Amino acid sequence: MRKILFAAVLSMLLGACASQGQKGADIEQRDLFDQQKAQQSSQDSARQAQIAKEQEELKRQLEEQQRRQQGAGQGDQAIVRPLSDGSVGGSQLKGDAWTQLKEPGSTLAKRSVYYDYDSYSIKEEFVPVIDAHAKLLMQHTDTKIAVQGNCDDRGSREYNLALGQRRADSVKRAMVLLGVGDKQIETVSFGAEKPVAMGQDEESWAKNRRSDIVYPGEPK
Amino acid sequence: MTRKTSFLQWVAACSAAFLLSGLVSGTVSAQPLAIEIIGGGANQIPITVLPFVGEERFPQRISQIVSADLQRSGMFKLGAIGSVRPFPAEPIEINYRYWKNEGAETLVIGSVIEKSDGRAEVRFRMMDVTKQSQIFGYSYLVSAQQLRLTAHRIADTIYEKLTGDVGVFATKICYVTKSDARFELQVSDADGFNADFILAHKEPIISPQWSPDGTRIAYVSFERRKPIVFIHNLVDGTRSVLANFEGSNSAPAWAPDGKRLAVVLTKDGTSNIYMINADGSGLSRFTNTQHIDTEPNFSPDGKYVLFTSDRAGSPQIYRMRADGEGDAERMTYEGNYNVTPRHSPDGKSFIFIHRNEGRFNVASKEIGSPQVQILTSGGLDQSPTYAPNGRMVLYASEVKSRGILAAVSSDGRIKQRITAQSGDIREPAWGPLSNNRRKEQ
Repeated sequence: MRKILFAAVLSMLLGACASQGQKGADIEQRDLFDQQKAQQSSQDSARQAQIAKEQEELKRQLEEQQRRQQGAGQGDQAIVRPLSDGSVGGSQLKGDAWTQLKEPGSTLAKRSVYYDYDSYSIKEEFVPVIDAHAKLLMQHTDTKIAVQGNCDDRGSREYNLALGQRRADSVKRAMVLLGVGDKQIETVSFGAEKPVAMGQDEESWAKNRRSDIVYPGEPK
Repeated sequence: MTRKTSFLQWVAACSAAFLLSGLVSGTVSAQPLAIEIIGGGANQIPITVLPFVGEERFPQRISQIVSADLQRSGMFKLGAIGSVRPFPAEPIEINYRYWKNEGAETLVIGSVIEKSDGRAEVRFRMMDVTKQSQIFGYSYLVSAQQLRLTAHRIADTIYEKLTGDVGVFATKICYVTKSDARFELQVSDADGFNADFILAHKEPIISPQWSPDGTRIAYVSFERRKPIVFIHNLVDGTRSVLANFEGSNSAPAWAPDGKRLAVVLTKDGTSNIYMINADGSGLSRFTNTQHIDTEPNFSPDGKYVLFTSDRAGSPQIYRMRADGEGDAERMTYEGNYNVTPRHSPDGKSFIFIHRNEGRFNVASKEIGSPQVQILTSGGLDQSPTYAPNGRMVLYASEVKSRGILAAVSSDGRIKQRITAQSGDIREPAWGPLSNNRRKEQ
């Protein structure tokens, strides 16, 4: 009796092994993942090194930025930064123009245009801000600015990225219509990825729905 | 047909909540994500998974992983492991009378044996207690690193036999974590284990999308201070730029053949959809409007593309033939914000994010039907992604200003919440079935 049972067990097991044939490819698939895993772990140290390098670079950039800002205050240093890293190119404003940009309470010190939800129309209250910056840019045609479009983080990240682009483009179009050179303004969207207010309430969302006007030599 | 019955059995609503993490806390591996089940079928399929004889000698306890998988699906009721010791490794060792008295119907037994070459032989059998007979049994010869995957495969096999549906426990997911201004694109098993990042940067990463064969992930990175689309090869760890044109580059979507993608570019004006080969060649324009056209998603047969457009004033979902012929057909009319369309794996319906009274939730709609079903209640839900069997939808949500992942069954009944140990977690994408399993289908 015991022998019969044993045989039955054995045949079941063999049956199981036989049907393993089609699952055989599974082993191969697993090997692939293991390989990947092994490679990943061997890359860990490389990654750590890369991260360390990036952190160094970030530190360097921050220091440079601080240096620039200090220099900018004296208004004696032209700074050109490459466009490729998304920062603002063109020569930095000097003297009076720079002072005006930094004058607390002045229209030029206002750099943000705010929007209603899911809208890229420029509201009446921000027309003077756009006017003032357009005038400044028309007086300094070698100055280039960046307009950065942002959204609150509800809904779709990708739709927000597209909407942020429209917001930035709407500011650019308004300035170009006023006479600013097309090449003086570069637009970029950060979508919902760079919120300035982190709360989930209308006050925070409203702060995040904006276009920022960024001059050369300013923190991005 | 058993599939339908069992499916209907578990769809009845249930509000029982329990923590799964307790079940798997015995494992050695670090647990980066905690998964909490918030709902489940009232009539779950009863099953008893006994500890596999010898499994305690290995770092991964197979029976615990199998139990956790089945539990997480919301479709099973796991029975107690009883008081009979030692546990049976083979059918002749089962005390059927005891298990019948315990009310067990289906029993899973097994063993893990260490081989002289260091590999492990995993044997498991599913037994019918009433008939005192084996339903099926398999053995696997695997390395210690493959034990988790083997457990997921066993869970898939059990799931498939008892539900008639394809199991997705042995699949992968990816998602983005954010903590202290550091973004990481992580790849993990579908249960959140074995998480490892493939990209880390101080600038945001969004919109990861798996290639149909699961070997590559396309994503959008802001690492060069503007959105650029990359393709990351998971096998060799290399990556290439897919789209870096003037302006914004985003929203990659793989065609089912894995050779082409749809991407969204602003190089010619507003966000419009373009087609591009996976090697970055052969760019062609797909939509041509002065409006926003974004979030393309191919139908599983590759014939159609769903996308989001604000051409009618508010963002709505449209469908166009993938060959670009004909006009775009509007697919949603409910409310004034419908975004992020994703085809179901059978191509018959799609999920999307729907706004209603200021709340953003995952909704589904059958193609050709006017009816919309709201699946979630988070209020700040986004980025839905289907499990490859179409049974669950994984999505990003927010609880107390913290980004979490959540999952809901495609009928809205079963809900899970997945949190990282710290920081935010977002932008999930569920990977495909492995190659050979797609062939089996």
